[in-house]
Amino acid sequence: MRKTLQDFTNQRLWALFMKELQQIRRNRRLVISLIVPPTLLVFLFGFALNPQVRNLRLGVVDDSHTPESRELVSAFFESGVFQVESYYTSSDALSRALDAGDLDAGLIVPSNFAKRLARGEAVDVQLFVDAVDSNKATIAGGYASRIIAALSDRLTQASPLTVSIKRAQPPRARSAVPRVALFYNPGLRSDWFIIPGMLGVLLILNGSLVAAATMVREKEAGTVEQLLMTPAESLEIITAKIAPLFLLLSLDIWLVLSIGYFVFGIPVRGSLLLLFATGLLCTLAGIGIGTLIATFTKTQQQAQLMGFFVNPPLSLLSGAMTPVEAMPQWLRPLTNLNPVRHFAIIARSIMFKGVGFETLYPHIFALLGITLVLISFSVWRFRKQL
Amino acid sequence: MSADAVTEGTAASTDVFLQKPLEDAVPIRVRDLRKSYGALEAVKGVSFAVRKGEIFGLIGPDGAGKSSIFQILGGVMQPSDGEASILGRTPRDARSMIGYLTQTFSLYQDLSVAENLRYVGELRLLSKEEIRERSAHYLRMFDMDRFADRLAGRLSGGMKQKLALACALIAEPKVLLLDEPTTGVDPVSRREFWDALIPLAARGMTILVATPYLDEAERCHRIALIHEGRIHATGTPAELRHSLGLERLEVRANDLARAEELLRKARGIEDVQRFGDRLDVLVRDVAQGERSVRETLKDLNVTELHLREPTLENAFVATLRELEGDVSLSPFPRARQTGMPKRNTTAISARSLSKRFGDFQAVKGVDLEVRYGEIYGLLGANGAGKTTTIKMLCGLLEPSGGTVTLAGERDLRSSSVRQRIGYMSQKFSLYDDLTIEENLDFFAGVYGVPRREREEKKRWVLSFSGLEGRERQLTGSLPGGWKQRVAFGASIMHEPEVLFLDEPTSGVDPLARRALWRMINDLADYGVAILVTTHYLEEAEQCNRLGLMVAGYMVAQGSPSDLKTAQRGTLIELITDEPQLAMKILRDEMERWRVSLFGDRLHVVVDEDEDTAIKKLADRLKRNGIDVVRAYREPFSLEDVFIQTVERARREGKVAPED
Repeated sequence: MRKTLQDFTNQRLWALFMKELQQIRRNRRLVISLIVPPTLLVFLFGFALNPQVRNLRLGVVDDSHTPESRELVSAFFESGVFQVESYYTSSDALSRALDAGDLDAGLIVPSNFAKRLARGEAVDVQLFVDAVDSNKATIAGGYASRIIAALSDRLTQASPLTVSIKRAQPPRARSAVPRVALFYNPGLRSDWFIIPGMLGVLLILNGSLVAAATMVREKEAGTVEQLLMTPAESLEIITAKIAPLFLLLSLDIWLVLSIGYFVFGIPVRGSLLLLFATGLLCTLAGIGIGTLIATFTKTQQQAQLMGFFVNPPLSLLSGAMTPVEAMPQWLRPLTNLNPVRHFAIIARSIMFKGVGFETLYPHIFALLGITLVLISFSVWRFRKQL
Repeated sequence: MSADAVTEGTAASTDVFLQKPLEDAVPIRVRDLRKSYGALEAVKGVSFAVRKGEIFGLIGPDGAGKSSIFQILGGVMQPSDGEASILGRTPRDARSMIGYLTQTFSLYQDLSVAENLRYVGELRLLSKEEIRERSAHYLRMFDMDRFADRLAGRLSGGMKQKLALACALIAEPKVLLLDEPTTGVDPVSRREFWDALIPLAARGMTILVATPYLDEAERCHRIALIHEGRIHATGTPAELRHSLGLERLEVRANDLARAEELLRKARGIEDVQRFGDRLDVLVRDVAQGERSVRETLKDLNVTELHLREPTLENAFVATLRELEGDVSLSPFPRARQTGMPKRNTTAISARSLSKRFGDFQAVKGVDLEVRYGEIYGLLGANGAGKTTTIKMLCGLLEPSGGTVTLAGERDLRSSSVRQRIGYMSQKFSLYDDLTIEENLDFFAGVYGVPRREREEKKRWVLSFSGLEGRERQLTGSLPGGWKQRVAFGASIMHEPEVLFLDEPTSGVDPLARRALWRMINDLADYGVAILVTTHYLEEAEQCNRLGLMVAGYMVAQGSPSDLKTAQRGTLIELITDEPQLAMKILRDEMERWRVSLFGDRLHVVVDEDEDTAIKKLADRLKRNGIDVVRAYREPFSLEDVFIQTVERARREGKVAPED
């Protein structure tokens, strides 16, 4: 054991490591891909996925007819996001107007609204959103929950006021109306929602693509044979390949956080260290995915293609850009296997809620577990092929 | 010798010039051609001319400028200066009359032979009738008509090459440009390919062919030696061989290393080079030279001394040496702390080694032993199992059966074994995206060369590869031959006990090749066991012992001389006035492999003794109206050995015949 440790720290590893660094330095495309896509994507998603949703036409069925219910409606109005188009007497009439496209959203205040509020019980307010433009619908839902939450803070500390949002589908697809309930959502601006999620997506995307290309390059060029004839152990070879990538990719964490802070004004309220550490875990998971891809491919081109096959589901099914709640029921548990999902939750919670390890440990351990499995499985496969 | 050799043609050919338009008699004319890429001048004023029906060889190492000349003549690239004309037109205008074959053939592997030909024909807008006729014609001519329906991907190397040639011919060009058509192809396939070229030339096709290999040069009518963008000599192979005014003595003696050293300093000796189990000594005067050799080596017991014709390699080396002086070889800085293993003990040993890939048995029960201090050459056709064998010997591939011992150990993958071996693969030994220095640093580091020795060793590799002052250059920008030298240097920096070299000198220029082999010999003299794979027979000549592989079997082992003397039959060289026809007649009644054409000389392998055979051959040709000008017995070359051995294996049923 001592001997292996000595071997491991000797100049051989250093030589391998230097060689990888020099190759990366010469590989301008790689350096560019570490900087340009993350920057572009963060800007793109931060700005472009933040459409100005204003003056949504709101139809109201107020069965409560109380000052409290009127206050709720006016809170919607005052937000500037919603504009009360007209009042309806029944939910049927409201949904007909939604179907006809006369409204963007419909609010139904139940008759027991004020009573339950006064008793400190949970109240369920229904919001119908025209889901033809699903992006607009999501954002409208987000605003609505925020408005209600703010109101609930003001009206009563004791009782949670909840809203259940129904997405009204185009008439023919009505049977598939999902029921979405949004609770406390701190992301009052969608860029705040998007950017921490993007950080995870980028770390996985860049990590896997760059690692796959690097790991497979030597196989493609044929130099791997020469390398195997040297006394270098396969674990040394892999370590030397992964370490520089890990260092470089970790810079992407700072890159994205800086853009978030300086351009979008996103704060980090919790521990920066914890955020960075979990970011490193996420990076390592990305490298694991990339290495795994490299073991299934022979050329860099194949590896890139496979990367493009693997990455979209990882980012789409992560809750990083769209809420997990918007996914079909059966798919939701699967997202727990997705490292991006856990990191998105961790990142948002640290950045906005300022919570720490004591709250986030289930996600941190999940992320750690996934990363360990990914990296050890991929390294095992890669070694076997050496 | 003038570069513009047309002007010094015979009287008859001068008459031809006067009678016919020049462009008809001399389809390819190149005058003072230059090509620069930025600051680098690749072609520095080259002039030559190729006559109708001539096979003209451009012989030179990688980076000599051959490909640039071909690209200009093919109309793909413009020259920087000078003139190149084909059939009196610019190459671009003459494109429809040029058949151009590059190193990588554009065959469609998943189309059949006939479909490949049809596709090319249709591209050239030939009618269905023409395509059918010409395909049939060339397939018959190349002895391939049985394979019309076979997929191109499933043809042997030589067959693929002939199919590519047929594709180039289907548009009936008047000029063929062949840029290294046989690089990476084994001797059997190469002979097949050249046998196809010769009748074409006989029918008036003008052929310009580039090759780095001097054994192919022997088959051309005329050749030009090109080196670093300049042509240094032009003439027939025989003219060039004799242009030196030197004779070659093959000397065998007891301690060759010592003998070489002594002769290098002796008076009256122009040049000495070691080839495996013999020395080639070039002398100006035979009698005086012989005396000098015997005198110098009187303590070393000269066992054999034969007078032979100089080879083209001798000529090329001598020409280059006059131009730039010999490659000076500084001694390798040895710093080995531990002693070398004892000479003549076993370094590599394999017992009934076999490898199976699915249904395919790539290596079949190979026994092999390489001792310390020995250079062992592993020879074989493409697909003979050479690469698989060497990979099993050095531990890159797990054998399906049999055992391998390497440097005394059975666990080939252990770090300690690999520390003691050096490995240089043909193409991929260095990282193209690192500089030369970074590559050397990497290999020194990964092999744990002590820091205090590194500088000296790096300097040695740079001086050995002639790249001093260029260590900051990216390795990928070096021509193949230079890279080979750096790779070789990098593979011996850690002073291995066992060295694996996979085609170490392909594409290396003759002077550098000589330096490389001197170094290999030096290592062997020091006690290193060296295993070389090659399918170039010039390289094989340099080995102490050879193993010949055919279809996964080890079919013959022994020193080059042993293998040559062990050949059954006699090799007769015939010079006739109609070599083409003579070959056809003799092939009709003898087995194909027994007869082959080298330029204007016929090589015939017979089973009878010399006199009877010559008489019979002469009679046979006489009846068809062909006169034999000269006929004599020639010693077998390694190529002959190789081809006969493959034939014998085929007769014994070890190799399935091509169909």
